[in-house]
Amino acid sequence: MTESVLTLPRGLTSRQRRRLWFIALLLIELLVLAYIGTRLVGVEVVVDRTEVTGNVETIYYRNEITGDPPLLILLVLGVALPLASRRLRREAVLLLAVQAAVGSLVVFVLWPLAQVFIEGFRAGQVERHFSLIQFEKLLATPMVARASLNTLRIGAITAVAATAIGTLIAYTLTLTDVPGKRLLRILTILPLVSPPFAVSFAIIMLFGRRGLITYDLLHITQGSIYGPHGIVIVQLISDTPLVILILSAVFASISRDLEEAAEDLGGRPFYILRTVTFPLVTPAILTAALLTFISSISDFGNPMLIGGGYQMLATQAFIQLIELFDLQLGAALAMLLVIPALIAFLLQHWISNRRSYITVTSGARTGHIRKLPGLIIWPLFALALTLASLTVLLYGSIFVGAFVKTWGFDFSFTTRNLYGLLSAIPQLKNSLIVSIGSGLVGGVIGIILAWLVARQNFPGRRSLDFSATVMYAIPGTVIGIGYIIAFNAAPYFWTGTFFIIIVAYAFRRLPVGLRTGVAAQKQIDPTLEEASLDLGAGRLRTFARITFPLLNRAFFAGVIYIFIRGMTDLSTAVFLNSARTQLFTVRMFNVMIRGTPSEGAAFAGLLIVIIVIALGLLSKLTGKSFVDLFRVS
Amino acid sequence: MTEFFTTASITLENLSKHFGAVQAVDNVNLKVQAVTLVCLLGPSGCGKTTTLRMVAGFEEPTEGRVFIGEDDITEVPPYARPTALVFQSYALFPHMTIYENVAYGLRARRMAKAEIDQRVNEAIQLMELQGQEKKSPPQLSGGQQQRVALARALVIRPKVLLFDEPLSNLDALLRVRMRGEIRGIQRRLGITSLYVTHDQEEAFSIADQVALMNKGRLVQLGTPRDLYRAPADRFVAEFVGLSNIVPVELLETNGKNASVRLFGKTIRSRRAPRNPDGQVSVVLRPEALEIDQPDPEGVPAHVLTMAFTGPLVRYTIRTNDGTLLTVDLHNPGPDQFFAEGTPVSLKLPAEVPALLG
Repeated sequence: MTESVLTLPRGLTSRQRRRLWFIALLLIELLVLAYIGTRLVGVEVVVDRTEVTGNVETIYYRNEITGDPPLLILLVLGVALPLASRRLRREAVLLLAVQAAVGSLVVFVLWPLAQVFIEGFRAGQVERHFSLIQFEKLLATPMVARASLNTLRIGAITAVAATAIGTLIAYTLTLTDVPGKRLLRILTILPLVSPPFAVSFAIIMLFGRRGLITYDLLHITQGSIYGPHGIVIVQLISDTPLVILILSAVFASISRDLEEAAEDLGGRPFYILRTVTFPLVTPAILTAALLTFISSISDFGNPMLIGGGYQMLATQAFIQLIELFDLQLGAALAMLLVIPALIAFLLQHWISNRRSYITVTSGARTGHIRKLPGLIIWPLFALALTLASLTVLLYGSIFVGAFVKTWGFDFSFTTRNLYGLLSAIPQLKNSLIVSIGSGLVGGVIGIILAWLVARQNFPGRRSLDFSATVMYAIPGTVIGIGYIIAFNAAPYFWTGTFFIIIVAYAFRRLPVGLRTGVAAQKQIDPTLEEASLDLGAGRLRTFARITFPLLNRAFFAGVIYIFIRGMTDLSTAVFLNSARTQLFTVRMFNVMIRGTPSEGAAFAGLLIVIIVIALGLLSKLTGKSFVDLFRVS
Repeated sequence: MTEFFTTASITLENLSKHFGAVQAVDNVNLKVQAVTLVCLLGPSGCGKTTTLRMVAGFEEPTEGRVFIGEDDITEVPPYARPTALVFQSYALFPHMTIYENVAYGLRARRMAKAEIDQRVNEAIQLMELQGQEKKSPPQLSGGQQQRVALARALVIRPKVLLFDEPLSNLDALLRVRMRGEIRGIQRRLGITSLYVTHDQEEAFSIADQVALMNKGRLVQLGTPRDLYRAPADRFVAEFVGLSNIVPVELLETNGKNASVRLFGKTIRSRRAPRNPDGQVSVVLRPEALEIDQPDPEGVPAHVLTMAFTGPLVRYTIRTNDGTLLTVDLHNPGPDQFFAEGTPVSLKLPAEVPALLG
């Protein structure tokens, strides 16, 4: 009886059978690549020159390669390289997963980024040779030079201030015993539910020229909220929540033993704060500073709304690319954006790799309340309270504003603004399609990548991890520009499709899906998967039946996070959407610029409601509280 | 290093700690004599760690006082107490090198650099950590991390050393070795120590005296021998080693010693039961019992199970009146192996150290 189980049909040994499968797989891959190749690269016969000798006219033709041969080469390399690993050759599923991961990262991450650099060094649309002329043009335009300096300056100020304020608030709301912590924790991170430029808009409603507080209540006519200080204030409000989230998680995970050991050895409270607590959270502080810096320099909506003509790189890039159609100059501007971001990313990556201390040890006692003198506690509490009241004020005015006739002039009740929303139903539909689509795509890729990175061992695993992670350092503006340059012309024809926006969003937020997935995988005992493999289930079945069911919470958390980010994005959207695929945020932005404040408030209010519903759904799904939901980021 | 140490006793006076309605520590009185090592032993949740943390200053007693020598330190903050704690997790600072970890307490005291250097090097030599100074904690093995934690505690020259289950993260073999080392260093430096553990064997092998705690109360304080031979109550008897606790009939007592009847035999006790009117039981350690071929002098019984572990063979037997007993025969000879089901004869000791009741 056992004989029949072990003997394979057609007299093949299991080794031979695997060989056959492998060869079949390679053939299929070859076919797929060949097909992609014919789409990516074509040969066109063009007239080279015409010679006339006597009455004989000789026309010389030559073959010209069209499309993207470099991408094809990269793609083939990406698919071929994993074949070099014996471990991967032995396991078809693993091999396919690695190849798919490498292939998609090449096409959707590396290629668009490379394109920014390639295009930025081109002479022009027709003259495609290498040239520094774009940078000469940039230097010759004082507007751009100023915009670069402005962007760096605002980015640095926002990053430092938001990180400092956010760190202090996170410490207060995590490790001290101030009243109303739960409520304050929700209120201080509230700005995460809306697009950043909604904050600008609300600030203008309150403190603008006809602002409720400045004009109607205080009758201030001097001075103005518009300008660089306005940008900084708004970015502080919208970026500090991210810092609070990151730092709260880290503060909460510091082992109580470490601080007690310091105290036991004679360290006084301030000495411990300086020598133990803050050094331990330094890597997280750096991460937060990096993220706020990138968020600030890629911000498009806030400078447009509240900058009052103050020039920033993101707005300049938009003007060059979308309004003046200068692809090369736009790319050069994007390079100016991406270089400081990449430097910051590498620096942060290098430092955190050298010093990463927060290791979750089972049974470690964490989240202990520190007793601090009132002289320290109360100013910290006041800081948290200020941010919380500001968010309440801002969101309150958005919701009230949506129901008044004309904010600033006529405060009588109306539902007219809600009817205005009806005209935006197509854009809302577009946004939902794109955000849900990118959530699902990003969630699936994220979980597969996480499985590869956290569980499997193969050559190149770390580079795979790195190239997926690098995306979070790329400003949204640059991603929009990169995608438009890379996939603008033949052979792609993706511009103006939902596809390009979905992919852009999915890959832009890939690091979040990846990190969430990796963290979740680390919670799963690897012996569960080993048991499944040992019992005879293949890699695919093990992933589908064991790994994924255990990970589905992380998966849906990733999906909804990407959804929310998609619904609130503006800086990528302005480059990638078209008349047919116009997104809700873009429409909303236009209304905020051209319509009445009340019309804009109705748009912002609706978006906030949708996001809060999505969060509620997620909260139900995962059984986590509102604040914990954001922790996935 | 030895000559610099000044040590002192630890005295806990009516120490209590409530967490809300939970009485974590309940009126504990304990004196740890200078230069000795006392183990706080007990099951998890018995209050032993809370007691230790009150000595270190991390928990404020609800009631009672803590003395180091003659000094009342109940209100002194942890950083100003002359105590040094070795944590269960070691709590080595992950962002500092081994050297910086050991130097931490001295730097916190703003000591001169030269003196810090000298004292750190002494501690590193004492704990045989030479060559590890520049490494970071995760690069060391568990045993080495344990040594760093101890070096870091010793370098500040505390009057009292505190240990919070310091060996529970090590594997069995290393645990035995490290406890020997801790005991050696404690003896050599002559430093008063309070050591928390839930492992009875560890406590017995390391302590001068064991303080057994249960449900927040100190149940018995004594040498390991006292606890084993004369347990104060049923909890102690059961927690400390394997025992057969059998109800007996009290024949007579004069307040100092007593005699009881079990299986028709008379057993003398060197200590009288506390409550002669209630149910009195006798604690029979498995190694105090013997079985042999059936014999009219002994108590008739049957072998239920037999397990050979190398140094001893452990039997479960059932006497004719249905009592189950565990019997250990050490270094068993060839005629001391009895198959399951075999009738045997049980030999009771003529005298026991104490009775329960």
